[in-house]
Amino acid sequence: MILVVLDHDGTKLRKGSLEALTRARQLAQALGEKVAGVLLAEAGAPLEEARGYVETLYVAELGPYTAEKWAAGVLEAAKGGVKAIVAPSSRQSRAYMGRVAYALKAGLLEDTLESWAEGGEVYAIRYAYLNRVTQKVKSPPPVALTVKPNTTPLAEPLGQGGEVVALQVPPVATVEVLERVQEEKKGVSLTEADVVVTGGRGMGSAEAFKRVEELAALLGGAVGATRAVVDAGWRPYGEQVGQTGKTVQPTLYIALGVSGAVQHLAGMNKSKYIVAVNKDPEAPIFKHADYGIVGDVHQVLPALIEAVKKLKD
Amino acid sequence: MKFIAVIRQVPDGESRLRIQENRVDLSSATLILDQMDEYGVEEALRLKEKHGGEAIVVGFGPERAEEALRTALAMGMDRGIHVVHEGYADPVTVAEALAPLIREESPTLVLTGGQQADWDSQALGAALAEALGVPVVPWTTAIELEGETARAKHDLDEGAEWVRVKLPAVFTTQQGLNEPRYPTLPGIMKAKKKEIQKVAFQGNSRVEILEEIIQEKARLQRILDGKDPVAAAEELVRLLHEEAKVI
Amino acid sequence: MPIDFSLTEEQRQLQALARRFAKEVILPVAQEYDEKEEVPWPVIEKLHEVGLLNAIIPEEYGGMGLKMLDEVIVGEELAYACMGIYTIPMASDLGITPVLLAGTEEQKRRFLKPLTEKPALAAFALSEPGNGSDAAALKTRAVRQGDHYVLNGTKMWISNGGEAEWVVVFATLNPELRHKGVVALVVEKGTPGFSAVKIHGKMGQRASGTYELVFEDVKVPVQNRLGEEGEGFKIAMNTLNKTRIPVAAGSVGVARRALDEAKKYAKEREAFGQPIASFQAIQFKLADMLIGIETARMYTYYAAWLVDRGLPHAHASAIAKAYASEIAFEAANQAIQIHGGYGYVREFPVEKLLRDVKLNQIYEGTNEIQRLIIARHILAE
Repeated sequence: MILVVLDHDGTKLRKGSLEALTRARQLAQALGEKVAGVLLAEAGAPLEEARGYVETLYVAELGPYTAEKWAAGVLEAAKGGVKAIVAPSSRQSRAYMGRVAYALKAGLLEDTLESWAEGGEVYAIRYAYLNRVTQKVKSPPPVALTVKPNTTPLAEPLGQGGEVVALQVPPVATVEVLERVQEEKKGVSLTEADVVVTGGRGMGSAEAFKRVEELAALLGGAVGATRAVVDAGWRPYGEQVGQTGKTVQPTLYIALGVSGAVQHLAGMNKSKYIVAVNKDPEAPIFKHADYGIVGDVHQVLPALIEAVKKLKD
Repeated sequence: MKFIAVIRQVPDGESRLRIQENRVDLSSATLILDQMDEYGVEEALRLKEKHGGEAIVVGFGPERAEEALRTALAMGMDRGIHVVHEGYADPVTVAEALAPLIREESPTLVLTGGQQADWDSQALGAALAEALGVPVVPWTTAIELEGETARAKHDLDEGAEWVRVKLPAVFTTQQGLNEPRYPTLPGIMKAKKKEIQKVAFQGNSRVEILEEIIQEKARLQRILDGKDPVAAAEELVRLLHEEAKVI
Repeated sequence: MPIDFSLTEEQRQLQALARRFAKEVILPVAQEYDEKEEVPWPVIEKLHEVGLLNAIIPEEYGGMGLKMLDEVIVGEELAYACMGIYTIPMASDLGITPVLLAGTEEQKRRFLKPLTEKPALAAFALSEPGNGSDAAALKTRAVRQGDHYVLNGTKMWISNGGEAEWVVVFATLNPELRHKGVVALVVEKGTPGFSAVKIHGKMGQRASGTYELVFEDVKVPVQNRLGEEGEGFKIAMNTLNKTRIPVAAGSVGVARRALDEAKKYAKEREAFGQPIASFQAIQFKLADMLIGIETARMYTYYAAWLVDRGLPHAHASAIAKAYASEIAFEAANQAIQIHGGYGYVREFPVEKLLRDVKLNQIYEGTNEIQRLIIARHILAE
């Protein structure tokens, strides 16, 4: 069996789940296995949508998320034996999959760009050294594999609903969630966005980010921030792009007033197109840019917004 | 109480990487204590300073990694355990190597980096927790001990949360947890006399690296002069629309 | 194995600490203090905190007991970020050295211990307005009166002179005796009649405070005399024979910085459609810089090794100081040349390297004096 973890926001599957599903189907075909899904939920879950994608769907409602509970849920679903467990990459999945991999003594293939099976072994391509190196790795099955967002075509539904199997997950109560500090959710999620518009220290103030938001909204993208901006309290941590923040790989990455420190580059240097606006022509970001403007971001950004509006008209 | 920080030695993010025979060659790179692990060392020291007890650094890696252990000792850790292993090992294998040694110490808690700066793994903390049969709190930004449990704040993909976790537990670090101190000169001198227990590990990594390449995407480098912001912005939008076709 | 070029584990740690300190604490403020012509006390406090200030003081007096090779390793790293700022701890070591060489147990305890307990500096006062290199021709007079000396005169170009807790002052008891009439006295901050005037308008090393010290009927207790009457000149020379080695180390640091900046610029800057680093004219300059750095560092290490072994080192320290400061000046000069017009403005760091390192050819004995020392060594046999 190839087990795929279907991640969701309570009402619908996340895009990453459909990417993971594609990978799971590819592995299943190469290894002569069947795909089953596992849908773990705090409360609500998109059950109908999910069973449209798999022949067997394991489900369990576990209450507030903890890595222990999710690992227990996945392990319960994998009890019949698995060749691979596939999940979309997220902070959460990379933790519970670590537990799962240890429990099954599986090969852990983290945040993969590509994966395939050959001669009974599973191969993957992933980044290392803060995204600077591309690795080709392999492991004999079983493997626990996470899928980097925006790397894989989305899976299509099967056309008919699969069988739903309720899991009996043994309770784990080592971690109690006391309080969730929710972020204001605006528009598209940063890691899944096709366009990311990031402001750096050069933006100068929290107020200046209104224009960043405006440009992001115009382009249907998400807002990002650098560590300096987040540390200054201008933007929430959840928007931080970089080594300790999020890794993004959009089609278009626009860096406004961003100098381009290594730690920031680690989070965005694989974007398809990179655009930089900075008044310092020596800023390292320009070395990683496809397009750029050397100029004052406070003048260039409003002009950019106008130019995009003109184009859309 | 006993606080353990698990560390590794990695190349400095700014040092240049080279590829030799399809593998990353670190022979000319500056190697440092992984900065994410350094948060763990600092937190272990702060917890020890506040609650008393012992702070132990546990390192995994080749002989040269002893330098990173010494750095942690110079920062103030009491003693070290170095599991010596050459080459790559996946987090499950590393956890297998470390778990028996850590279990023997019966620590109050274990800290390690949220992500490794060389192998980009985020799973060592979780794998280690599974190996020890204890909970894991990933991407931790605050820890407060309260007897048999700890209150901790940690990052999720979206947002963050406060949790109460049963001890012992494994915590992985996130930027913001603390500001690591310098290994002072007196610290360096004292570290000389501190004990590092060496343990050989021969286990085989399940995951094997076949090839490593540096794929610097060639960038177009079309940089416009923004003296006339409106003209530059219009030209940029035109290029993105007509040439790159991304908007 | 008679020769070993490797650093010990502790030395590597020490180097890593100094390198990190230079990058995180000194580099970000170097330009600011250069412009303000002000002593960066926050940096000095931090140096004390991590244990790098006055670290040559032996452990029994509360210090770290750093050896010369350790000091040289630290010096190169700190000077890489700013030679002017490095001069502050370096000049403090210069003040401490005569106490280490000639002080009694009681004096060491009294003068050195306080320098390890808080961020504090020492200074060394030999040069005078009318004589620098001709150190035996002192005009500052000391006259013995009972249990103290009365000191009159002026000292010039004294690094840390206005900040120091105490200054080792070299004075003459009888000018006719030339070097045989010199006495070394420790003058404490705040002693009546002792004043320090900051010298403004320095070309480089503007973060280090340089002073003119004036002594008007300053009473110095006899317990503050280092060694015997008449031993002062020997104490001063033995001190400088050691402390010019850190000047060499600082020079190597500046040269390394010059090469790094030049390399970076040469790879980025394009001319005739390619990076200027692809031209041999530039490549030769870079290669010459590295030849200078490697040879100067190696010789500086050698001179330090002689000191640590207790072997004669006067000529070696002179060679290291003269050679390293000259290759460093040339490296800074060529780094400016590679930068072209950009090298001549403050926006780029290379003009400061040249301004700073010029002093390394002058202080702690001009390079001409170093050549005299070397020549004396050659002709002595």
